[in-house]
Amino acid sequence: MSGVLGRSVETITGALRAVFAAEQLAAADGFLQRRDPRVSLCAISALALGIVLTRTLAVALCFAALTVGLARLSAVPLRRLLARSAVVPLVSALVVLPQAVLLPGDALVRLLGVTVTEAGVAYVLLFTVRVGVGVALLSLLVLTTPFSALVAALRELRVPVALVWVVAVTYRYLFLFFDELQRLVLARNSRTTGETGLRGGWRDARRIAGTFVLRTLDRGERVGRGMRARGGARPPSPYGRSRRVSAADYVLLAFSVAAVVVSGVIRWSP
Amino acid sequence: MIDARGLTHAYPDGTTAISDVDLTIERGERVAVVGANGSGKSTLQLALGGLVTPTAGEVTYFGEATDAEAVRERLGVLLQDPNDYLFNTTVRADIEYGPAQLGLSKERAERRVAALADELGLTDLLDRPPFRLSGGEKQRAAVASVLAFDPDVLLLDEPFGAVDAHYRARIRDLVHDHDGTVVVFTPSLDTVPEIAERVVVVGREGTIAADASTRAVLTDGDLLTDVGLRPPTTVRLFAGLLDDADVPLTVSEARERLRDAL
Repeated sequence: MSGVLGRSVETITGALRAVFAAEQLAAADGFLQRRDPRVSLCAISALALGIVLTRTLAVALCFAALTVGLARLSAVPLRRLLARSAVVPLVSALVVLPQAVLLPGDALVRLLGVTVTEAGVAYVLLFTVRVGVGVALLSLLVLTTPFSALVAALRELRVPVALVWVVAVTYRYLFLFFDELQRLVLARNSRTTGETGLRGGWRDARRIAGTFVLRTLDRGERVGRGMRARGGARPPSPYGRSRRVSAADYVLLAFSVAAVVVSGVIRWSP
Repeated sequence: MIDARGLTHAYPDGTTAISDVDLTIERGERVAVVGANGSGKSTLQLALGGLVTPTAGEVTYFGEATDAEAVRERLGVLLQDPNDYLFNTTVRADIEYGPAQLGLSKERAERRVAALADELGLTDLLDRPPFRLSGGEKQRAAVASVLAFDPDVLLLDEPFGAVDAHYRARIRDLVHDHDGTVVVFTPSLDTVPEIAERVVVVGREGTIAADASTRAVLTDGDLLTDVGLRPPTTVRLFAGLLDDADVPLTVSEARERLRDAL
């Protein structure tokens, strides 16, 4: 399959496959998978807070090492974790890249009359690592905890219903969005022959975009009925997957709280 | 139990799907709502299930509520397309969705999921994403999802869908054994005698063309032709050979008649 639409199908299929793989990983036997979902949620959120607080590259790298360690303990392939977490920090790095020359400091390199400063490079590095580790931590949570267990944990932790509702519905509709686009493009490809070329591909993509919006709206409405038919108009209330909180759960919680405290102390100490 | 009065529904494009429908379904009844494609059966099901707001008219549930959401745990509405019904990440999560939302205990739900999965051949598929199932498997998962919370009333739109003969029989048995009211919406009349004792015919204009016993409707060739349907195969086979009262409606009845004749 070639052309813009062909590549779109491959991307969509890849995205769907990644979500399915996440559910399979969540069912595997690993350190985070054995934790109570409420504990995983709180501990990972605390570690994410810790990385947000830090302003030191060494501390940020410690959090990165911790994330890698948790992934290894939880049988999450590092390549998969990296693939899921790489895009956001790379985009962030592009956004803050000008700071490398805008921030005052000792000159590191001079190129075409532009001075790259040490402070600027350090800032870009620190920012990128912080974003990357934060995203990796959240990816780790999603990869090791079934989605319904996460929603149940949010409810048990008394997170506002409206917020849980948004999370639950968005996740499910994301699936349907991809599924609908995949069907539409496959239907189109089944009645198309030959190479369309770049211009033809974009022309097709433009044509298909309008149909896609209409079909997505229609499908969304029908799935909404499917949800309501089974109580979807009521606040999300999946069965809790919580279990007896174990010693390892307490250790993970204590460790993550300590990490936040240490990160805060290092940041605000004179 | 379900009482619809003057039910009319027109879509935003002006198409009137159902018009001035009066229909009462009593407790424990087995009813088939039949009609040609596009006659308004599915809209009628959605309106009875409280999933579309009718343009006019009202539905009363269990003699008290007019808001379907207030009695949602007692209404099992299966939509026509299983793709609209399955939206969770695994088949298990989908079957559990209704029981969880509608307040069934986790233990009871787990028992129901296991029993239904066993009955409908879904045990090995429970941890698979619904999107990866075949058409028949999706249909079975959707049927399991609606039966999982054990509603008093089942409103099933084409529950046999793309299911093969083996599981069609299993679904028919599950529907037959359901301890409550069953309303099946279908354009296929061959399965009707096995599941319903009363048939409601939706005419071309979205109105009720007939509401009578299964035998009376299925042997009325003129009525069925008028609404774009054909009598079941066995009825067509024996039409003119036997009185309407003796015409077999099912294959097993036809076998009996042939055995008697031979």
